[in-house]
Amino acid sequence: MPKSIQDHVCEEHMFSSIFNKYAKDLHNFLYYKFGEQLHPKDKVQEAFVKLWENCAKVTPDKAKSFVFTTANNLMLNEAAHQKVILKYQATKPKSYTNETPEFLMQENEYHKKLQLALANLTDAQREAFLMNRVEGKRFKEIAELLDISTKAVEKRIYGALEKLRKDIKEL
Amino acid sequence: MEREQLISKWFNNELNDQELEAFKKLEDYNDLIQLNQALQTFKSEEYDTAEALDQVLNTINSSKKETGSWTKYIIRIAAVLAICFSLYYYTTTLDTTYTTDISEKTYVELPDQSTVNLNTKSTLVFNKSDWKKEREVNLSGEAFFKVAKGSSFHVKTKTGIVTVYGTQFNVKQREQFFEVICYEGLVGVTYNSQETKLKPGDRFLILDGKFIANEKEKNLEPSWLNDESTFKSLPYKQVITEFERQYGITINLVNIDENQLFTGSFTHTNLDVALKSITVPLHINYSKTNNTITLKGE
Repeated sequence: MPKSIQDHVCEEHMFSSIFNKYAKDLHNFLYYKFGEQLHPKDKVQEAFVKLWENCAKVTPDKAKSFVFTTANNLMLNEAAHQKVILKYQATKPKSYTNETPEFLMQENEYHKKLQLALANLTDAQREAFLMNRVEGKRFKEIAELLDISTKAVEKRIYGALEKLRKDIKEL
Repeated sequence: MEREQLISKWFNNELNDQELEAFKKLEDYNDLIQLNQALQTFKSEEYDTAEALDQVLNTINSSKKETGSWTKYIIRIAAVLAICFSLYYYTTTLDTTYTTDISEKTYVELPDQSTVNLNTKSTLVFNKSDWKKEREVNLSGEAFFKVAKGSSFHVKTKTGIVTVYGTQFNVKQREQFFEVICYEGLVGVTYNSQETKLKPGDRFLILDGKFIANEKEKNLEPSWLNDESTFKSLPYKQVITEFERQYGITINLVNIDENQLFTGSFTHTNLDVALKSITVPLHINYSKTNNTITLKGE
């Protein structure tokens, strides 16, 4: 217990270790939730600067919730003014080209559909689903980051999958 | 096993061999794999944690000054207040100084209604805030004191200290010259750590470091208060320096013994009359050019 008093967030090494532990996850969380045009990197930075300013009030074990909530709120402040338009990273050029033009076209089509379908997911579904599928995070890890139960994560992800499948079929 | 469970386990990388087989037999297995592969292209761009940390630390360090500005603001206010207070304290406890220039006299009232007449080219320094504790003035030059009754009153000069017990007296401290005349009451003069008590009419004179006994003073107050300097058996050079002080001029002596004793007086109001009073009795001629006067012995 006395260690948590010593390891103050105000100390740079402590701050750095918190940053190293959560910055990437936070960035990905923001990215999958809000897309990239709201500058998730900047929000990560702002959130951590805010953490530093409030370092005396935030204990290390509260730091994660603090930066996630802060960054999320920063995003929401901006997102509130505009309908979130999600543009995920353009499809990466394929390293192999032994595919028929038809297939490539189909694949391109599929990506566009998927993009729209992802945009139609709720924020909560999308962030959980993509963190799991793209970042390979376990349900438990996502649950910890979002401060929700594992069951809820599972629900969101499965819900997201079903919605995606449905949307892609319809489109 | 149910479809939903299988997919969840697949998502969570928890499928065992048996379950994996079951999962592969799902009718939409191919769709799921296709979806999963396509999703990988939506991966967020690489996040460089180290670089981002550097940026954050930079921002923090550059804004550190700003975050501390609140305390700095307080410190600034405190500093201004401290300066104001010390200035106030300094000025109120500062010694009060009165200085007279050549051919100038002034009248000073001390905090307890004691009064001082300050003769020409003299300086009087005292401290108003300490006055109640200790009545003490520093004097350089000549002054006539009328001291109100109260605790002892000190006049400090380079040559000696004059202690007063409610009285009127004149102190004259010039180059090689220290004279105290008591006109009323009792005055103590400390010279070379030896105190001499003066009764009314008594005169204490140190000339060139030597104590000179002198006859009693008959006047009730020093003559300079009436714009006249009076000398009794004093070296002529003392007369000349006093004359120079009163009129702000330079006097050259030619062929005159400056140590001869002079008894007499001169006025402060008329240069010609005054010159005659110090030259005629000694049969001296004088000539004026601008601010220089040459006295020539016969």
